[in-house]
Amino acid sequence: MGRIVIRRLASALPIMAIVSVITFAMIHLIPGDPAVAIAGLSATAEQLETIRRDLGLDQPVLTQLWRWYANVLRGDLGRSLLLGQPVVQVMTQRLQVTLALSAYALVLTLLLGLTAGIVAALRQNTWIDQAAMVFAMIGISLPNFWLGLLMIILFAVDLRWLPTGGYIPLTADPLGWLATSTMPAVSLALLQAGLLARITRSTMLEVLRQDYIRTARAKGLPNRVVVMKHALANALIPIVTVLGIIVSLLISGSVVTETLFSIPGVGQLLTQAVLNRDYPMVQGGLLMTTALLVLVNIAVEVCYALLDPRVRTDGS
Amino acid sequence: MRRSTSVALGLVMGLAVAAQPGQAAPFECPHVGGDFVFGQEANINTLDQMTSATISTRNIAMNIYETLMTRDENNNPILELADSMTESPDHLSYTFKLRQGIQFHNGKPMTSADVVASFDRYSKVGNQRSILNNVARWDAPDPATFIIVMKTAQPTFIEALSSFSVPIVIIPAENRDVPAQQLTHPIGTGPFQLVESVPGSFVKLKRFDGYKPNTQFDNRTGFGGYKKACLDTVTFRIVTEGGARVAGLKTGELHGVEDLPTKSLSELKADPKITILPLRNWWIQTANPNTSAAPTDNLLFRKAVQAALDMDEIMEAASDGNYALNVGFQYPNQPSYTDAGKETYNLKNSELAKQYLVQAGYKGEPLILLTNKDYPPMYNSALVMQQQLQAVGINAQMKVVDWPTSVQMAQKSDPGWNFHFTGWGTQPALGALATMQFLADPNATYRPKDDKGDPELMAAWNDMNTLPAAADRQAAFARMQKIILERVYALPFGSFTKVQGVRSNVSGFVPFRIPRMSNVSMTK
Repeated sequence: MGRIVIRRLASALPIMAIVSVITFAMIHLIPGDPAVAIAGLSATAEQLETIRRDLGLDQPVLTQLWRWYANVLRGDLGRSLLLGQPVVQVMTQRLQVTLALSAYALVLTLLLGLTAGIVAALRQNTWIDQAAMVFAMIGISLPNFWLGLLMIILFAVDLRWLPTGGYIPLTADPLGWLATSTMPAVSLALLQAGLLARITRSTMLEVLRQDYIRTARAKGLPNRVVVMKHALANALIPIVTVLGIIVSLLISGSVVTETLFSIPGVGQLLTQAVLNRDYPMVQGGLLMTTALLVLVNIAVEVCYALLDPRVRTDGS
Repeated sequence: MRRSTSVALGLVMGLAVAAQPGQAAPFECPHVGGDFVFGQEANINTLDQMTSATISTRNIAMNIYETLMTRDENNNPILELADSMTESPDHLSYTFKLRQGIQFHNGKPMTSADVVASFDRYSKVGNQRSILNNVARWDAPDPATFIIVMKTAQPTFIEALSSFSVPIVIIPAENRDVPAQQLTHPIGTGPFQLVESVPGSFVKLKRFDGYKPNTQFDNRTGFGGYKKACLDTVTFRIVTEGGARVAGLKTGELHGVEDLPTKSLSELKADPKITILPLRNWWIQTANPNTSAAPTDNLLFRKAVQAALDMDEIMEAASDGNYALNVGFQYPNQPSYTDAGKETYNLKNSELAKQYLVQAGYKGEPLILLTNKDYPPMYNSALVMQQQLQAVGINAQMKVVDWPTSVQMAQKSDPGWNFHFTGWGTQPALGALATMQFLADPNATYRPKDDKGDPELMAAWNDMNTLPAAADRQAAFARMQKIILERVYALPFGSFTKVQGVRSNVSGFVPFRIPRMSNVSMTK
């Protein structure tokens, strides 16, 4: 197991290097620069030039690239041009928010998606199956922006059960966090739950047709044991693969939800950074996000190894 | 609004409010207490006011900081942290006597050493430090006196010094050497002090109990005047989505919001718990030509474009109906307003446009309208202008990029664009001088060939800056505006109204260039 982890971590290094070069190249290729964002709407040309000079944006791109890599190797991802704070500090603050929200959304995704998929597979071609798949299709099809707005109107404006937006950290007030995170988490989870439900259903159906399931039933094992121990355990590998993708999507794909509900997460931060050409924030932020996603993928592979002895053997 | 006459600004500049007789009772809070939550549309990058020209920063920071001089309700210069200001007879020095008993939020008394430190820092990192280019030095002969010595006489210096675009806010001397944008824990002398700032989420302020109001006034005016913090705390919540701001105002989670979407206004107006507050003259919507690139290098072609435009249609689309037609670059409520060049505005004369096109020898070359979707008013105005120009036979094409890209492209005179769509907010509010800077060398927005501006326009600009009499400078502005409009160096469409709203239990909230939280109170 240790070897698998070490091997995967080693292979992550070139990935990070490639991502950082591509990111640097792309953000500098886009026209426009951060001075425009810092100076504001009515800035004069003179104000823009002053800011460019102050930030070193008048230096050649290669000089900027060299300086950035030299700092990265020292563990310094630089300072956000817009926020004036170290990238690592800002990202750490925002990642806490995004990870907490993603974890909440993941729990909802697992509860809704796995339950709907398993029940639909066990009750194939019944109204329960059809209802579960309609739910899945609605989840996949609804734009989460629109769903979020509908939830705000219903649960915040009409019923007054939940706040319209804002964010309270989990550590500051768990109940407040629950109140501010529920609508965003649901709007994030419904899409992923629909995807998970469909994958779980099809995988379970395939597994349930296998000979060893028939054998288990023939042995007289209770249905619960057949489903949970034999069917679900074997269906988990493709499900875990999808879960890895879902976690990545939850972390990286929450921009719209964060904007709508005024949540200070990574998605909103990096989108603003790209729009405002905050070069160090984009470069450092994407590097940290890439590292996080690489870790998620390593975790998925560790799960494979735990679930499937064949992977363990191949890996060693 | 003024109570005493200790400042001779009116005599010196002809700009300040005139002293008014009478001693009205100073403002008293109708209610004290409460946490006012304001829904702000844009993220803030920094609270380091010296280094940011963004409205979002100013919205919050100007409740924390104060300056030696600022602007009143009509954008006239007034004293704020200074008790008096005397200009020397040779116009080469300005002596400020500081108000006594002023404390910073850290409890330290403000002295001239802090003012010196603030000017020192601004001269190094200030975003608009060029306003100090003509200053030879500043001194503090005693703790209550601050002197600015000029290199040459500059009649417009006080106007520049009191500008709120990137104001020279007064900070404690120990913050003199803090690098740009890293003043993350702002300490000022304003009525509110920082409690917590969470970028992307909220900024919370609380009442500064050591605040000493300016007793030269009886009420708040503009950024200054007699200010009192009636609210216990003020939370600026970043709510970038318009629908979410509306929802927050309706539920009462937000007590005030800015930039309400027009489509929600009828519903909100019907709600007795909500008061709608239009903030007129928020910005001037404009399109600026590239006079170095064909076909807009041809004055007759530019006149054809000007003649074809129906400003009502353009502004209607740009603002969803929240606008006023406006000639030129100042607003009618400003003392510097002039309608010089009005005969060129809103002509909507397609026949005249076609005549100009014939005279210009136009052969259907593409006309590129450079705009963006980050600011929908700019995109919408370009869209309508394109239709109006196509109707008279101009091959108008849109180039839609994002805002930073459009600004960068518009700073170059290369072919690739002919009209750049933008909005001027802060500068027109500051006055004619600040606005006309956009059209003066270097880097004039109409991109003259080789960056050498129209000599007549530049002569008017120089007069605006150097003539000693205010009336003569105003006449120079009128001349400059007339030249700009007649030679189509800019196409100002009209003025925009920004709509704000508060809950009906809020009193004293009057829309201004920033949401002012002093003298605002709320009942439960």
